[in-house]
Amino acid sequence: MNGPLLRVRDLTATVTTRREVIQAVRGISFDINADEAVGFVGESGCGKSVTAKALMRIAPEGAAVGLGGSVSFWGQELLGLGEDEMRDLRGRRIAMVFQDPMTSLNPVMSIGAQMADMLHRHLGLTGRPARERSVELLDLVGIPDPARRIDDFPHQFSGGQRQRVLIAIAISCEPDLLIADEPTTALDVTVQAQILRLLLRLREERGMALMLITHDFGVVAGMVDRVNVMYRGEIVETGPVDDVFARPQHTYTRTLLDAVPRLQGAGVVR
Amino acid sequence: MQENLSAAVAAAPGRRKAGITQGWLLLGLGLAMLAAMLVLTIFAPLVAPYDPSATSPDSLAPASAAHWLGTDSIGRDVLSRLIVGGRTTLLITVTAVLIALVAGLILGLAAGYLGGFVDEIIMRVLDVVFAFPVLLLAIAVVAALGPTVPNLILTIAIVYTPAMARVVRAPVLSVKQWDHVEAARSVGMSEMRLVLRHILPIVVSPILVATSLTLSQTIFTVTALSFLGLGPPPPDPNWGGMLSEARQFMELAPLTVVGPAAAIVFATLTFIIIANGLREVLDVGSVR
Amino acid sequence: MTRFVLGRLAWMAAILLGVSLVAFMLMRAIPGDFAIAAAGSQSVGPEVLAAIRRDLGLDQPLLAQYLSWLGHALMGDFGSSFVTRQPVLGELASRLAVTFQLTSLAAIIAAVMGVATGLAAARLRGATDWLVRLWNGLMLAVPNYVVATLIVLLFGLYFPEITVLGYTPFLENPLANLGSLLLPAFALALAVSVTVAENTRAAVLEVANQDFVMVARAKGLKPGTILRDYLMRNALTPVITAAGLKIAALLGGSILVETIFAIPGMGQYLFDSINSRDYPVIQAIVLVAAGIVVLVNTVIDIAYARIDARVQM
Repeated sequence: MNGPLLRVRDLTATVTTRREVIQAVRGISFDINADEAVGFVGESGCGKSVTAKALMRIAPEGAAVGLGGSVSFWGQELLGLGEDEMRDLRGRRIAMVFQDPMTSLNPVMSIGAQMADMLHRHLGLTGRPARERSVELLDLVGIPDPARRIDDFPHQFSGGQRQRVLIAIAISCEPDLLIADEPTTALDVTVQAQILRLLLRLREERGMALMLITHDFGVVAGMVDRVNVMYRGEIVETGPVDDVFARPQHTYTRTLLDAVPRLQGAGVVR
Repeated sequence: MQENLSAAVAAAPGRRKAGITQGWLLLGLGLAMLAAMLVLTIFAPLVAPYDPSATSPDSLAPASAAHWLGTDSIGRDVLSRLIVGGRTTLLITVTAVLIALVAGLILGLAAGYLGGFVDEIIMRVLDVVFAFPVLLLAIAVVAALGPTVPNLILTIAIVYTPAMARVVRAPVLSVKQWDHVEAARSVGMSEMRLVLRHILPIVVSPILVATSLTLSQTIFTVTALSFLGLGPPPPDPNWGGMLSEARQFMELAPLTVVGPAAAIVFATLTFIIIANGLREVLDVGSVR
Repeated sequence: MTRFVLGRLAWMAAILLGVSLVAFMLMRAIPGDFAIAAAGSQSVGPEVLAAIRRDLGLDQPLLAQYLSWLGHALMGDFGSSFVTRQPVLGELASRLAVTFQLTSLAAIIAAVMGVATGLAAARLRGATDWLVRLWNGLMLAVPNYVVATLIVLLFGLYFPEITVLGYTPFLENPLANLGSLLLPAFALALAVSVTVAENTRAAVLEVANQDFVMVARAKGLKPGTILRDYLMRNALTPVITAAGLKIAALLGGSILVETIFAIPGMGQYLFDSINSRDYPVIQAIVLVAAGIVVLVNTVIDIAYARIDARVQM
């Protein structure tokens, strides 16, 4: 296929809440190729999460987001797409894993039901086939005894397990691009590494593109091919992850790199 | 009705400070309505154009310059009866709520402050009273005691005391753990002064809100009792009784029903508006 | 969990005992002599009064009287009406059935109206929200008996050909039965629907801010699915609990509304008994109604704790 999977040009996002109007993203451009893993690094409030949500065109509840520029996915312009077509695309072609697994699952639905509704929506799977597929997916993300656990409710899982379930949901319709927005921030350190390894493995097995968003350089190292450093709604530095690590150009990048604990920093060099 | 009260008070923490101006606006409106109502009823004999009990052959008359709201089935002026009737209704309401307030304060402070065994006993007994639907209990008590103004006041006071006691007790329970209370105790402040100086002021805000909500519900209960024939004895007018009497001929003179209905709604609305205004102005949610 | 349920049930029994004591004492507190009230006339001879006293056990100590009364009440024997001289139970049961019908219908109307308006306000916001809140604020100030009276007035003025008063038994004509209850149930439901609407609005607004709703949108689910499975299923638990606690308000309100619409339910029975000083009936109704409220509240308490245990950790 020609051209990149995702081509973003001059993307702007203006977030309007009841209290304020924020220019969260100020004209950024980047590409993500199919099969590529790209990291987005920056401190909280730098616009990286808004960028991710802008690609899927979902706004936080109670806020309106005005988007400008161009987002083209497989050559199709997303910003002008109708809401129905956009909805067909969400979860099916672009899927997302969110930051806090403790609050990202519906507490009153079994995890099986929360997997099945998406399989039904995009792949038309119901009943037994949906269930079998869900069990396979749970097994794939490393939930032990999935056939039994599928009827359990979210509160019966640990934080790390919930994030695994959310990843299983996200990859269930074989998306071309998986956006992971701070997927390990809310987890214990030991669990963080497991989840990152899982994401890495799934990406390689399934050949998805991965957009990994984090405030922690230690997370992207070893995970992604290229990295974009974001600061105040703009991309201030971009390049292959090893280059950026070795020769950071922007002062802000250096600050971020310094913030990575030594031990973790030492382990990143492959 | 009582559930309504505790739910409304409990719901208050959700409010934010954004409503300060709106709160003052509501409070001002409510107090203005209350003032208008009080002036009209306190000076009722002077304000009312006719003797409320004076009959005339001109019965069920429509609204006119002489009778703004027309006359009832035995030719009494509806407006005059409304104004004078408001006196009885509001007198019972306000007095009863004040008594319930004092009783609730004493019981709630005692239960919350002394805690332990005293708390258990007081709250359990109040729970029994709380278990009755308000109106049902009021009906039973008035039916047993007989419908006179003092009995009505007593009944309403009894019925609303548990809710008031609960409103008082909850903040007291949390307040008494506070450091400055401990500090005051450690420097040897007497128990009585401790309660008056440190605990009482903290619990005042939720109590003010609860009192005005209770007032709105009491209007309902008092007029409902009168409506059922358990109000103050005739011929003195009162709103609930007027509404009830007028039903027989209401299609001939709709104003005889609409008048008292509007008065009841107005009074209830007044106290609800004051309660909402107070809640926002005092930021009751922050009392923790 | 079992301990909790047992604790609640024991507590319920204690409350019911207290309630029965209050119901008993109230009727002993009536001014004048209970025996004269029972005789229905002042002008009966002393030997007749003595006979009545013995008959009703009024010559026994108060505690013995209470225990005997409670024992009979537990067996369903509420004594005989002073007016009809018939056992209270039979009449009370048939009246209770009518009130049950009325309050059930009112509960359904209140739930449907409340959830619909609350949901509309929370999802549409803007002018709809403003209108719903204004309406709620106003309706909170209109007592149910005023609503009922105004409904009767309006129909009397503008649709005199429609009969709004009276009651058709279900077995006689199910459709007419429903018709005869519709307006009273609406009058009864209005105030409760306001509470349901406010609760629904607050709950939906809160749930809408939860992360899992955003996840549901990121899954590409249709708005209808999100509304049903993600918003409503989470928002309705507290709403149902709060609505359940309104059963007491519905029962209390039925006294007034039944009287206005001439529905032969428990409320009207109470009203009539008050006017005829029929104390055993008043006592029975107070006991039964308070008992129902205590029972319903306990059931809701337990049910909510179970749901809570499943949802929370």
